[in-house]
Amino acid sequence: MRRTATLLAVGLLLAALSLITYRVVRMGYPLYPASPAKAWELSLEARVPPNQRNITIKIAMPRSGEAQTVVEERLAPGLLGFTRVLEGPNEVRVWSGNTDRQGDLISYDATVLLKDSRAVQATTPALAPFPDDVTLAEQSAAKRLVARWRQLPLPERLRALADGMQLFLEETATQDGDVQVLRLLEKRQGTVVAILTILRAADLPARVAEGFFLAEAVMATPTRWIEVWTGRGWEKLHVQTGRIYAGSAQFLRLAVEGVPVVRTSGLDFLDTRWTVSKKIISAWRSQFELIQRSDRLLDRWSLFSLPPQFEETFRILLLVPIGALMICVLRNIIGFPTFGIFMPVLMALAFRSTGLLYGLAIFGGVLCVGYLVRRWIDKLRLLLVPRLSVMVTLVICCFTMFALVGSKFGLRELMAVGLLPFVILTMTIERFFITVEESGAKEAFKMALGSAAVAATTHEIIHIEGLQLTFFVYPELLLAVGAFQMLVGRYTGYRLLEYLRFKAFRRPS
Amino acid sequence: MTLSIYSWLRDSGVLGMNRRNAEYIMRQNPRTAYPLVDDKLLTKRLAVEHGLPTPALLHVIQYHGDMATLDEALKGSSEFAVKPARGAGGSGIILIAGRNEQGFVKQSNEVVSFEELHYAISDILSGVYSLEGREDRVLIEALVHPDPVFASVTFRGVPDIRIVVYKGVPAMAMTRLPTQKSDGKANLHRGAIGVGIDMGSGTTTSGVNGTSLIDRHPDTGGKVSGISVPYWEEMLLIAAKAVDMTSLGYLGVDLIIDREKGPLLLELNARPGLQIQVANQSGLKKRLDLIDDASSHVFVSPEARVAWARDAFTREP
Repeated sequence: MRRTATLLAVGLLLAALSLITYRVVRMGYPLYPASPAKAWELSLEARVPPNQRNITIKIAMPRSGEAQTVVEERLAPGLLGFTRVLEGPNEVRVWSGNTDRQGDLISYDATVLLKDSRAVQATTPALAPFPDDVTLAEQSAAKRLVARWRQLPLPERLRALADGMQLFLEETATQDGDVQVLRLLEKRQGTVVAILTILRAADLPARVAEGFFLAEAVMATPTRWIEVWTGRGWEKLHVQTGRIYAGSAQFLRLAVEGVPVVRTSGLDFLDTRWTVSKKIISAWRSQFELIQRSDRLLDRWSLFSLPPQFEETFRILLLVPIGALMICVLRNIIGFPTFGIFMPVLMALAFRSTGLLYGLAIFGGVLCVGYLVRRWIDKLRLLLVPRLSVMVTLVICCFTMFALVGSKFGLRELMAVGLLPFVILTMTIERFFITVEESGAKEAFKMALGSAAVAATTHEIIHIEGLQLTFFVYPELLLAVGAFQMLVGRYTGYRLLEYLRFKAFRRPS
Repeated sequence: MTLSIYSWLRDSGVLGMNRRNAEYIMRQNPRTAYPLVDDKLLTKRLAVEHGLPTPALLHVIQYHGDMATLDEALKGSSEFAVKPARGAGGSGIILIAGRNEQGFVKQSNEVVSFEELHYAISDILSGVYSLEGREDRVLIEALVHPDPVFASVTFRGVPDIRIVVYKGVPAMAMTRLPTQKSDGKANLHRGAIGVGIDMGSGTTTSGVNGTSLIDRHPDTGGKVSGISVPYWEEMLLIAAKAVDMTSLGYLGVDLIIDREKGPLLLELNARPGLQIQVANQSGLKKRLDLIDDASSHVFVSPEARVAWARDAFTREP
């Protein structure tokens, strides 16, 4: 049997290794976590008023393309029907239907990965006609004004124009008839049309876009800007002054060609709240797009095909066997006892909501209170099941106290106490009590310490993002973990602590 | 040799927990035989069938409804022991040593009224002492009067003798002596001391308290070594025969010596601990290997197995 188990373990290791090799060599998977890429999270919360009939809300959202990749989109279900349509260059999410007395909350979130802007493909866009309602006289006035720069290459031409724009538009006295014509146009049609007219007159392809600056902020409405093609990419101009935004400013474009981001019909007012926040994620994530679009068997069956809300679960779940392996090592190779077999792993999972320190403190606190009560309750000679039920009630009471104290002092970690596994905690109190009774307090504390150590280590391990993604991209690593577990299972040598236990056999040599 | 720092344990032939579980318990003890040793009543019935001496069974209470029979059964007896059939580590045991107008007198001189005894028995039946919470049965046994041989090295309680038997061959033995710390219980985990017994001569060798070696009892100060254990051959024979009745290849046999009835089989353990090795200053693995290599004629009868063991596992004079 021993050989069979060892062979099986070696086989599993080889299988894992060859799958990984195949993915790296033949399918071009990344081998090491690459440098973190910049990702931004855009979330929208829109409150739809109650009792609305046949309303339509169209909201343009980021689209994967030349400059960015949308890696994750999350949408909370609501009353309104939801579809997505492509309107020219814009990707629009459409909510429609009726609301009841409660109204509805549209909640949408997207994670966008920005690509290196230097890698953007240069395809010159077609030159659009002059904006509507710009007369021929105004067109020729604009053409005359920009004539001296028309021969410059595109980037320089734009820079010169942007500098000159102020002369055309600012309220300074001027005798130039053409400038006055333009100023009248600005008065009549607005600054944006005036700027677009000047840019068109200089043969610079331009468009109006809406979206957000990439800076952490909460806003009620998106920002507008003008984009001008310079031959290498789109340069952004301020809609009021026509100045070029600094090169370091980054934008998340939601809608272009003059279409507003939010459009509604049948609705007077839509209260929107946009949040832009920075999110550092590893470049492994960008592998996502590649894998999801691939037709290769291994790609189609990759974990990336899961919907995002389940992906999160598996990122964590895939690391749980490592925690179990650690328990195997601790118990069978080191010889350190833990409470229950997998209790520490469950604790580690629960600590995700409370944080490690608070989690351990809460666990220790409830264990102490539970032990004292359990000791006292022992005198009552309650039957097993009712006795455990009393302990569950006690644990829940403790949780309630922690939550109330947490809420009093504004400690979210304490309020999250409800997510700790109360059944496990109850059984741990019972085991702790029995261990103290049967083997003494020292043994029980040793076990508590061992459990806490494994829980803490497991908690740290399952939060290493690189490891999460490694297992996510290469789930066959589970085979390797299983192989190590098997090898530990066939380890019949001494446990480390047995060197202490049997120290009486050590003779001075 | 740098490795010698680590090899002393293997060289001494000590059996570790991992190897005990994987190569002895898992390989030698079929799961189906576990109920025979986990339930004291089953063990006792089996022992009686096989002619092995055990404390006399006075009465069994299986259901709460049987409680009515208790008065009748206890009529006239003033000395008995109440035990849960599935109790672990000596919990739930009540030793009654006498009777007076108020009720029963425990060995510790506490008085227990008849109602209190009823209540205690009812607790056992409901499974208060069985760790899995299963309904239990109550054994009422004759009280054992321990032989005075260990009196000078026992702090209250009843000392017992543990013999580890492998493939029917007694491999190692020790006596477990209660201390103040162990609260009269003969359980090493709770602080009782273990004293090795030489297979050949049946005399005690060295003692272990926790992980350290001792020569004197921590409470009474009596010398633990050099005590000649009575009925030695008889006890080894009981242990050797206990294997035949359970089909457990790796077994701990617990015996107690009554000053009148001699050695009695108390209970069996399918997962005997490893501390016995420290008490004997000898590795179990070495002995189990010898048993594995013994020729087949060793195994023909319990007597042959005991004779071989006494010869093989004795200390060099």
